[in-house]
Amino acid sequence: MMITKPPLQRALAILPLTVFAILFIYLSVASSNFLTPGTIELILKQAVPTVVVSIGLATVVIAGGDDVVSGGIDLSIPATAIICAAIIADQVTNNGASILWGLTLAFGAAGIVGAINAGLIVWVRMTPLLATLATSVAIVGVTKVITESRRISIADPVVIFVRDGRILGVAAGVVLTAIIALLFWHLVHRTRWGMNLQATGGSRDAAEISGIDTKRFVVQSFLLAAFAGWLASMFVLARGSGSSPGSEESLLLEMVLATFLGAAFSPRRVVTVWGAILGAVLVSALSVGFISIGVNVFWTGCIKGGLILLVVASASAGTDK
Amino acid sequence: MADALLQMHAISKSFPGVLALDQVDLEIHAGEIHGLVGENGAGKSTIIKVLAGVYRADGGTVMVDGTTLPDVTPRAVHNAGVRFIHQELHLVQHFTVTESVFMGQETSSLLGLSRRDMQHRAEAFFRDALGTEMSGKILIRDLGIAERKLVQIARALIDGAAKLVVFDEPTAPLSSGEVDKLFTAISKLKERGIAMIYVSHYLAEITDICDRVTVLRNGQNVQVFDKVMPDSTDAMITAMVGREIDALFPDGTHQAGAPMLSVTGLSHSQFQDVNLTIHSGEIVGIAGLIGSGREELIDTLYGLKKPTSGMMVFEDAPLHLSAPADAVAAGMVLVPRDRRHDGLVLDMSVSDNVNLASLGDISTAQIEQRGRALAKAKAVAEKLDIRPRDPSATARNLSGGNQQKVVLGRWLTRGAKLFMLDEPTVGVDVGAKVEIYALVEKLAADGAAVLVSSSDPGELVGLCDRIVVMLRGKIIAHVDTENLGVDHLVALTTGGQSA
Repeated sequence: MMITKPPLQRALAILPLTVFAILFIYLSVASSNFLTPGTIELILKQAVPTVVVSIGLATVVIAGGDDVVSGGIDLSIPATAIICAAIIADQVTNNGASILWGLTLAFGAAGIVGAINAGLIVWVRMTPLLATLATSVAIVGVTKVITESRRISIADPVVIFVRDGRILGVAAGVVLTAIIALLFWHLVHRTRWGMNLQATGGSRDAAEISGIDTKRFVVQSFLLAAFAGWLASMFVLARGSGSSPGSEESLLLEMVLATFLGAAFSPRRVVTVWGAILGAVLVSALSVGFISIGVNVFWTGCIKGGLILLVVASASAGTDK
Repeated sequence: MADALLQMHAISKSFPGVLALDQVDLEIHAGEIHGLVGENGAGKSTIIKVLAGVYRADGGTVMVDGTTLPDVTPRAVHNAGVRFIHQELHLVQHFTVTESVFMGQETSSLLGLSRRDMQHRAEAFFRDALGTEMSGKILIRDLGIAERKLVQIARALIDGAAKLVVFDEPTAPLSSGEVDKLFTAISKLKERGIAMIYVSHYLAEITDICDRVTVLRNGQNVQVFDKVMPDSTDAMITAMVGREIDALFPDGTHQAGAPMLSVTGLSHSQFQDVNLTIHSGEIVGIAGLIGSGREELIDTLYGLKKPTSGMMVFEDAPLHLSAPADAVAAGMVLVPRDRRHDGLVLDMSVSDNVNLASLGDISTAQIEQRGRALAKAKAVAEKLDIRPRDPSATARNLSGGNQQKVVLGRWLTRGAKLFMLDEPTVGVDVGAKVEIYALVEKLAADGAAVLVSSSDPGELVGLCDRIVVMLRGKIIAHVDTENLGVDHLVALTTGGQSA
């Protein structure tokens, strides 16, 4: 016996994709250079930090369940990326330290963030939404202390390579991100660890009955998310040629949008690593597209907010009660 | 005995105030299907949980294959080859069949998961061991309940190490057609020499598939049937019930008045074509096992679930319920089965809980008059003998029986006409039971209509004027309780006897 969903639910499930497709067609018609190789590379380069943080968020959502309120979510990944970028820039530019030392310090900071998130959620039993919102605000505060709310430029050769370098003719940042994406995809979707992670998020009870230590997987998902934040910091530095305060906001918006939009790409309608990556590229394409046809930047934020609403509403409408 | 696969000997287990298991023996032979039956509270789930290592027994031994388990932990039991098919499915909706079967025991190589290999093994298992074709690629959410049950079974058995499988009420959520599918799988497993414990309330199924049956009653094993015949149900019921109706019940006969609520052709996914009329001044019972549609019917009558078709008439006017508020407005009220969650605001006082549904009466211009509220609550507490009598006591701290009275008191203050009581005495001590029964009796004597849904056949026979019996979503009998024995009612609800 097969169970079919009511038509309204099915329609809602494909609504975000439809809206995006229409926007896309509109943009490629309205802007003559939207689908040229140059623009596509620009879109990909712009997408890189969002892709990496979205992979992190996807991991947390996969482990915690895709209920937007009670499931897994980590709003602190963009803030983690920004604080790591600030630490690296501060070390290299202001202290004259090597980039390796900056990366090491940043790695430690990201680890602390991940551990705090995991602790708050698994042991203090806070709602992930509230816990990570709180840590995010706190991290932004610490970042301001480190940078004194000022922009710190960085001209380290590694950062410049990530920004301008090319590997086999493709932008270095894009290639590196593709490697990161492949590794995460393999880990989450092609290993036993990943299957158990998915089971944990799919049904905590089912996972535990099958002998899976669900707490361990939730903890590891938040550590991985912080790790993704750390990885993203290099791309944030490359994109902005330094650390600038306040850049976590747009990253947060794009990350949430991309990750949950990604569910619409998955045949099973669940958050996946691939979906998040595709979602991030799409979101970046929209941003670039809007700029190329001269939409006011402030309106772009409004449109993105509306799209988040649409995606999240479609996700909760599609959930089996 | 040489061929005893599992021997549980003299198992005792007590919980505060209750002796749940009293020196129970349970012996399962290799390759047999062993039925475990008993009324609610007889100790079936307790002994299963002892075997699963969930509860630690106070005394007794567990032997598997002739070896005594020194420590009955979930792991030790699993390693001994015992598997459990829980009543709940515990599956991930968006996983494929293969992923669900191998959950927690995936196989992988250096390149990652061996998806194809797992899929072949899962499909082969369904074909060879369970006698059904199942694609490993289908998502769980696209399967029917019976197929999901098979997936759950496959997950427990795929490692090939199972010697004994415990089924806990496996057919409760299934329709009769789906039951056959499950039975095919069970008989296939039996061919493979796997022994099974089959816990069920459905006695007709027990006599169908079981080789031997153990009957539990009040925490003791009262009888073992070594031969099970289709007509063994009567003897089993006698062993299960083994008591007369307690003298808990007021002996009221009621003069049924005008029809209060009539239902015609009411259907929902869990029940079909229900016709039912309740008159003022009478107490009507609904009997049925889990999965009979009894709970869903009550929810539908209260507007919590929407019927797919059918008509309701309340006091000669058509009734359309889109929410419980509509039912309450009409004068139909529910005392829910889970009173701690659905019936009471636990952290509010008795007074606030009593007045919750009739705030209009105690308010002037939308402002609550605390004095009037307290006076009213006090009157209710007097009338229903709620202890403590103090209306400012917090509801959480009251005993189960007194909490139930608070819920009833709330509806009394509203002057409701039809009372629906869902499992009114679950978790309530005997003394409070007597009081609740007296109260129900008084409601009917005062002209209200009362509908009692209960899993306790004794309660229904003792309290009600007539009983509607549901089995797998259908009303199979309307019986008058005059001269109705508890065992007869049990026979009807368990499918052990047709009406």
